Amino acid sequence: MANILVIEDDDIMLKAIRNILGKDGYNLITAKDGKEAFEKLDGGEYDVVVTDLMMPYANGLEVVSRLRSDETKRNVGIIVISSVGNEETITEAFRLGADDYLKKPIMAGELLIRIRKLLANKNSKSQLVTKKK
Amino acid sequence: MKGLADYFFSKGSFWDTIGMFYQSAVFIYGTTLLMAYALLAIMSLISIRRYMKKNASIDYNIIVESPLAPGISVIAPAYNEGITIISNVRSLLTFNYPKFEVIIINDGSTDDTLEKLVTEFELVHVDYAFREKLNSEPIKRIFKSTNRAYDKLIVVDKVNGKSKADASNAGINISSYEYFLCTDVDCILDKDTLIKLIKPFMDEETTKIKEVGEPCVECGYVHIQEDNRKVIATGATLRMVNSCEVDEGLMIRVRPPQRLLPRFQEMEYIRAFVLGKMGWDLINAVPNVSGGLGMFDKEIAVKAGGYDSKSFGEDMDLITRMCCFMKDNKRKYSVKYVPVTLCWTEGPTTLKVFGRQRSRWGRGIAQIMSIHRKVIFNPRYGRLGLIVFPYNFLFELLAPMIEFTGILFYIYLILTRQINWPFAIILVIFVYTYSVMITTLALLWDQITFKYYKTWGETIGLCLMAFIEPFIYHPLIVFFAIKGYFNFITGRQHTWGNMQRQGFGMQKKKSTANAG
Amino acid sequence: MWKDLADLLFQAYEQFSLLPLFIEIALAFIFIAILSTLIAYSAILYRRYKGYVYDKRLAFISPKIEDLITEQVLLNPNLGKDLPIEDIEFDQEALNDKIYRKPFVRQMMIDTLIQYRKNFRGEVGELLRKLYIDMGLEKDSFAKMKTLRWERKIKAVVELTQMDISISDVTILPLTNSGNPALRAAARNAYIQLSKNEPFKFFDIATEPLLPWDQLEMFKIITTTKDIAIPNFSRWVSYSTNKSIVSFCLKLIAHYDQQSAIPAVMDLLANKDHYYRADAINCLGKLSAEVAEEKLVKIYNNQPLNCQIEILKALGRIASGKQLEFLKSEFLYSSNFDIRMNAARSIIKHNTQNSRMMVEELMEMTHEENQLIIKHCLNPLIKY
Repeated sequence: MANILVIEDDDIMLKAIRNILGKDGYNLITAKDGKEAFEKLDGGEYDVVVTDLMMPYANGLEVVSRLRSDETKRNVGIIVISSVGNEETITEAFRLGADDYLKKPIMAGELLIRIRKLLANKNSKSQLVTKKK
Repeated sequence: MKGLADYFFSKGSFWDTIGMFYQSAVFIYGTTLLMAYALLAIMSLISIRRYMKKNASIDYNIIVESPLAPGISVIAPAYNEGITIISNVRSLLTFNYPKFEVIIINDGSTDDTLEKLVTEFELVHVDYAFREKLNSEPIKRIFKSTNRAYDKLIVVDKVNGKSKADASNAGINISSYEYFLCTDVDCILDKDTLIKLIKPFMDEETTKIKEVGEPCVECGYVHIQEDNRKVIATGATLRMVNSCEVDEGLMIRVRPPQRLLPRFQEMEYIRAFVLGKMGWDLINAVPNVSGGLGMFDKEIAVKAGGYDSKSFGEDMDLITRMCCFMKDNKRKYSVKYVPVTLCWTEGPTTLKVFGRQRSRWGRGIAQIMSIHRKVIFNPRYGRLGLIVFPYNFLFELLAPMIEFTGILFYIYLILTRQINWPFAIILVIFVYTYSVMITTLALLWDQITFKYYKTWGETIGLCLMAFIEPFIYHPLIVFFAIKGYFNFITGRQHTWGNMQRQGFGMQKKKSTANAG
Repeated sequence: MWKDLADLLFQAYEQFSLLPLFIEIALAFIFIAILSTLIAYSAILYRRYKGYVYDKRLAFISPKIEDLITEQVLLNPNLGKDLPIEDIEFDQEALNDKIYRKPFVRQMMIDTLIQYRKNFRGEVGELLRKLYIDMGLEKDSFAKMKTLRWERKIKAVVELTQMDISISDVTILPLTNSGNPALRAAARNAYIQLSKNEPFKFFDIATEPLLPWDQLEMFKIITTTKDIAIPNFSRWVSYSTNKSIVSFCLKLIAHYDQQSAIPAVMDLLANKDHYYRADAINCLGKLSAEVAEEKLVKIYNNQPLNCQIEILKALGRIASGKQLEFLKSEFLYSSNFDIRMNAARSIIKHNTQNSRMMVEELMEMTHEENQLIIKHCLNPLIKY
């Protein structure tokens, strides 16, 4: 089953996302701030990372940037969930390499679909790679 | 008045009369001071309750998602902060706010502050064009990060200007937003600091104008100027970080300092901010926004001339000049305070450093009173001239001197056996109980806004300090203030004391130990 | 015995009245000070005790509330099946738990639901709303509306707005012009979001200013409420006498890119208020109003600095290429740093063959400080 890391500093949202994603049976790991997020990122492998932007210790953009600059984690799908709605921040997130940006309030169904899509893409890509080999 | 008159004329000699006159004058002065405190206590209670009511249903997050949020430049000078710089800058970068930049001014550090920043945040030197609106020592280089995740960060490397004022001016020159937040790089700030401090700026209407004079010959328009009450600066409460648990620049748990000296300071800060500043806030007569944390309207600050690097009280000096600027241009302004603690700073733990700080403050206020003497009792300056300055002159500047002479007078009376012991004791008890009451009230008001301390033991423990303050802490303050005045009068060179930092590195270890 | 006491008091008073005045004052204050200190201590302890009790109740109740929301809403088996939200039923037994009758718990329930609504829209958001109605919590909010205390009223208005429950015009309209700024703002927001027919009606009647903070809230509500009919905001730009409404409308025009508003906005260029003109110029730039370009250049020399800078910025946003020479001459010959900076930035913003050539040319012919300005503006690492 796919491993998903959810990084979110708001307790309510963290629990809610866990419940919603849990329905689809993913293997969920959570982090409630930037520091914990980095620890968990270093200590495990993930297929998708769902991250908030404004958190203690480190902001979500750092998480995105770190994932994208790491060879081994380049293929991890990244979804940013944030209440920040200004254009600059959103384009910044995409430029750094986020795959999706969901603005709060989010639709639970949308989050699920996006995760499924990212996972499907990833699988087809890795299949391509293996075929080429 | 019967009693007083009796007292006056019962004794015959001329010197006795002088003595009695002095005594009565001091008594009246003292009573006025104590009345002023009582008034402040009442005003601050009203103002805090008003703030709480108004803000109870406000959703602060709204500004985070809004594209209309004004930009804020966070300016933090750093001098030899190598031990803690990385975690502190990281924490400055995590403010809850959509549009801000963090400007770190490396004020000619002699340690590895700059190198650490460069490697940690992947900085490169950039060609940065800016206009030198305010005087400062030359800027050597400006750095930006190549990592987009840190694109809010600007690091300025500058020749040491021997003062925070100089470094802050350089930061203001570089800044690109219309508001700036001034702080110290080693302060621990709440993540909502920017939101809470920008709010008062946005609670005043900005569209009122008035016409000035005839249509201009050059452009054909009638000149206009803003006619709204403009908020020019905001501040919030500061506390001591000394015994708090801090992890990488983040406040984990607030605790009153355990060591005596910073513990007194915590109490004093709460009293000064919660009772003093909030009280003055009610009648729009806030005298000062503390140097540790304050947000300013950049345009006005620049027009007022920015920080004065020669000043010993540069924070109050700036506010005074900004207020004067507004008054000189016949514009309405206000300086606002919010009663929540947003900043934790390290209080000096040794008498030496503490004494240096307080002498500097004493010298600062003497300097401000003399530089801006045109303001005092000048109705042209409104509240600034008729309330803020007289109060500061009479009860901040003169108080230590009057107290000091008072003690000398008492000693004289004792030595010449003229003292009326029962009365003297009653007077001392009066002043003592009153000061305990004022401090206790301040601590009570502080509880209204937020329960900062976790246990009631900590709260009461701090309250009890009020009982020993008059014997231990207060004399120290008076002594160092007078020392500061003395330095001011003699114009002695003052070496800019860079406070010895304990370094939060130690506290970090402590907190991880606790966590584990 | 009472007589003795009275005698004693009287004697004490007599003694007291013989004392000099300042000692009398001092004694009185000692009494007041001791009393106040004692009261303050009890108040501190009492507050702490109350806080402690509150925290305990919170710790006990909030998991229950969260479980209820999780089970009934987030994990509701009927979600995602394209069922109409009205047809999704909750487990009545869970909703009817005795605990949800206590006012304290009900208030917490409302607050928590609002928290969730801020994070979720769509089906989950709708279902949260249904839970609020089914538990009868809207009645609690309406009851709060009726109190006289303004802060309670605000709370009620905010709750109803967050939950998208309509309030009758008769109740809400008078509040939109209330003298209390906080209540006024809340009422206006509620009116815009909840009044389905004419949400912007109060723009016509608003006499009180729209504070910058209110604009944030209102901007959010206008841009996020679905099924809101967005009018042509130029109407108020032309006719409103409330300046804060006009400047707010300019921001909305830019946000919704209402091209048809350009003439109305251009009319503002003749206004004597230069803060206003600056707002209008800014709006024209954001609309990329090429028609306004010539006019802006024509009035340029008569403008104060803030408007000149806005004009330079606008020319960079419109970027028709026709005003490159103008920008170039401003860049080369202005003595003002900010003007040169903005001129350079606007030239670079064009990002066409011509503009790039111009930048290269300028780089060669100009002095050192101007070169620095160009380098600054070209650097992708620097935002402003």
